[in-house]
Amino acid sequence: MQQDALAHTEDFGGPDQHQPNRVCVPGRDAPYEHYTLGKPYDEMFARDGTVHPHYAALDGRLTTLPPGELLRRQQACELSFLHQGITFTVYNDNQATERIIPTDLLPRIVTAAEWARIEAGLKQRIHVLNLFLRDIYGDARVLKDGIVPRSMIYGSKHYRREMRGLPVPHGAYVNVCGSDLVRDEAGNFVVLEDNLRVPSGVSYMLANRDVVRRAFPAVFRSVGVRPIEHYPNELLATLRSLAPFHEDVSIAVLTPGVFNSAYFEHAFLARQMGVELVEGRDLLVNDNVVYARTTSGLKRIDVIYRRIDDDFVDPLIFREDSSLGVPGLFNAYRAGNVVVANALGTGVADDKAVYAYVPRLIRYYLSEEPILDNVETYLCREEKSLSHVLANLDKLVVKAVGESGGYGMLVGPHATQAERDDFAQKIKSDPDNYIAQPTIQLSTAPTFVDGGVEPRHVDLRPFILHGEHTTIVPGALTRVALKRGSLVVNSSQGGGSKDTWVLSE
Amino acid sequence: MLSRVADSLYWMARYIERGEHTARLIAVKLESMVEQTREDADASWHRVVEALSGQEFAPKAHDAYVITQALAFNRVNSSSLVSSLRGARDNARQVREQLSTEVWEHLNKLYLRLQPVTAEAVWGHHPARVFREALEDFHTLEGVVYSTLSHNEGWHFIQLGRHLERAQLVSRLLDLHYRQVPGVTAPKYFDWLVLLKFCTAFEPYCKAYTAQIRPEKIAEFLVFDGEFPHSVRFSIDRVCDALFRVAPAAPPARRAVVERLAGKLKATVDFGQIEELMSGAIVPFLADITKQCEGIHESVHLSYISYGAETVL
Repeated sequence: MQQDALAHTEDFGGPDQHQPNRVCVPGRDAPYEHYTLGKPYDEMFARDGTVHPHYAALDGRLTTLPPGELLRRQQACELSFLHQGITFTVYNDNQATERIIPTDLLPRIVTAAEWARIEAGLKQRIHVLNLFLRDIYGDARVLKDGIVPRSMIYGSKHYRREMRGLPVPHGAYVNVCGSDLVRDEAGNFVVLEDNLRVPSGVSYMLANRDVVRRAFPAVFRSVGVRPIEHYPNELLATLRSLAPFHEDVSIAVLTPGVFNSAYFEHAFLARQMGVELVEGRDLLVNDNVVYARTTSGLKRIDVIYRRIDDDFVDPLIFREDSSLGVPGLFNAYRAGNVVVANALGTGVADDKAVYAYVPRLIRYYLSEEPILDNVETYLCREEKSLSHVLANLDKLVVKAVGESGGYGMLVGPHATQAERDDFAQKIKSDPDNYIAQPTIQLSTAPTFVDGGVEPRHVDLRPFILHGEHTTIVPGALTRVALKRGSLVVNSSQGGGSKDTWVLSE
Repeated sequence: MLSRVADSLYWMARYIERGEHTARLIAVKLESMVEQTREDADASWHRVVEALSGQEFAPKAHDAYVITQALAFNRVNSSSLVSSLRGARDNARQVREQLSTEVWEHLNKLYLRLQPVTAEAVWGHHPARVFREALEDFHTLEGVVYSTLSHNEGWHFIQLGRHLERAQLVSRLLDLHYRQVPGVTAPKYFDWLVLLKFCTAFEPYCKAYTAQIRPEKIAEFLVFDGEFPHSVRFSIDRVCDALFRVAPAAPPARRAVVERLAGKLKATVDFGQIEELMSGAIVPFLADITKQCEGIHESVHLSYISYGAETVL
């Protein structure tokens, strides 16, 4: 069997392990003694405890590794992250300590068929979101036809009036998108959120691959994992396709600087693409042309991949207290002398209310059915939904549309009656500002915890590139909630990440 | 090359050089102190303290332990070994995309390894060892810089920073040995040996002058030798080479300012003679070298880093 062959090839230089291939039952046998299968869909085990075929090779490896070996590999992987400087800084007592972002060694595996559906669904989605942005910053047909309420768009704090009537190359507003997908209890992938502004995490996708491939070389080879290393190339090609000419395009990555938590990623992408990494203070605008200050003089910049929020890009137009941006950048952009990716004003299309309209937008613009579903969402601005939400507050999660990061949110099942009553008043006084969703049980994936393998909740963030063409590198950042039972995968709240293997067949 | 990037590479190199110099002085001193009388060792430590710290953080006691903690591991002292490493690494992080993975990881590992160390932790047995190991890492780092980075403009800024720093550090060390300080015992035979070791110069000196230890020969070697990498002249040659290669497309008028200063400094060490420097003249001579180095530092900054944008539009 395949697993037997693996036992001989996995550990280069180590002794052969002539162990019989044994069946390890979750919840009973090492290393799965604490693997409890519950209501959520599990990535590795079917409900009856048998291993999904695409996880068989990994299972074979996990059940034959000598005790302690997994821990040793996990530590080697953490040390590698520390040396590479893939860290964020924690300040306490005036002492800055650097922590690595936790990475789990066990890959999350996605089959070819699942991926094909995800890829098609995301391409459809990014296409429609870009059509929508072009529409609302242009003729506003979708508003005139009454598909989306005017007030929702023009009242959004992410709508940029300055962008109206301004053409963007190939009509591509969102050039880099990171959409968060989760699996429901039935195992279907649904979209939880689109990140259309400055999504991050792609460097972790690549860094995780680098260490996990070294930790499980034979399993990696035997299952046929599709490569993702060309992401920086594809990003470069996408940025290049946005320039109005094709030779000697000068591209730069604009970072807020070394104190930003995603700085590692900015430097990583600039290095991998072979382009300049700039900060606002390196750039200046003269006569509506953007220049970088170099030792020899000023150098013109044609395309800026900005990793700074809209608000901070240009203090003359947006927040005047911003010192991260470049005064005059927006006018240079308007004049067509520089391309900014993502375009400004894309945030209007990823707020929680517009999210609820995406399936309708897909039908409206493409006359197609959505390939990937949304999480079921109730818009409190709609009479029928409002009464349903108010009647079921104890079962729903209610979110304010313009907020993110868990602010202005009610988690019904975990709230007290008083909190729910209080929130009901807020909803009634401003229904337009709220949406509600059922609590979603994210799927679980095997994760190395405390010396054993246990299930932990995961999501999936693939990265979509969209310029002249749309490209999705077959991989993703899988975020994992490392605390038992937790559904919060954010790195700020105890989340980590995993390598994601998309299989070729 | 972006001005900010050039500036960070330059400072990274200066901090690395300063860190290496600090580690070497402490290692040599810890190893040699056992062979000296208490009085001689105190005088010698005094010179190390003067060479490595400004007034503010200079430890008052002549105790080796206190001095080692202050010069190597005190995080508040901006010129300590760990602070130099932090400075080097902070600058490297600023320009991470310009460095090879090898350079970054070597520097980062060295930083992470020394960051938590204290004198207390290493004092128990053979305290010099941690500095010898650090020196090995510094030497490896120099090799990695040489062999994994393109020798492009950024590399020349690194050379500029390294050798400008080195010329100043060696000048200061020489000054402290040739200047008469009231109340401090003048250097003896053993101190001249130690001075050579501070500059990794003992063996190369012996090859050039035999093992006859004479202060004026040591001065001649460490100031004027054109081939030894820790002589002042050698470093100034590298500074001049680097200055002719950076910012190739800068306006000629701005280049001319820098090149004139470089040429003047080169002439000072190329045409100087040891005979002119004896009987005390070496002290003002070294002060002049240091001043010229500072002038070059300022002029590079004005011409290539912080020039007014209006001058080039």
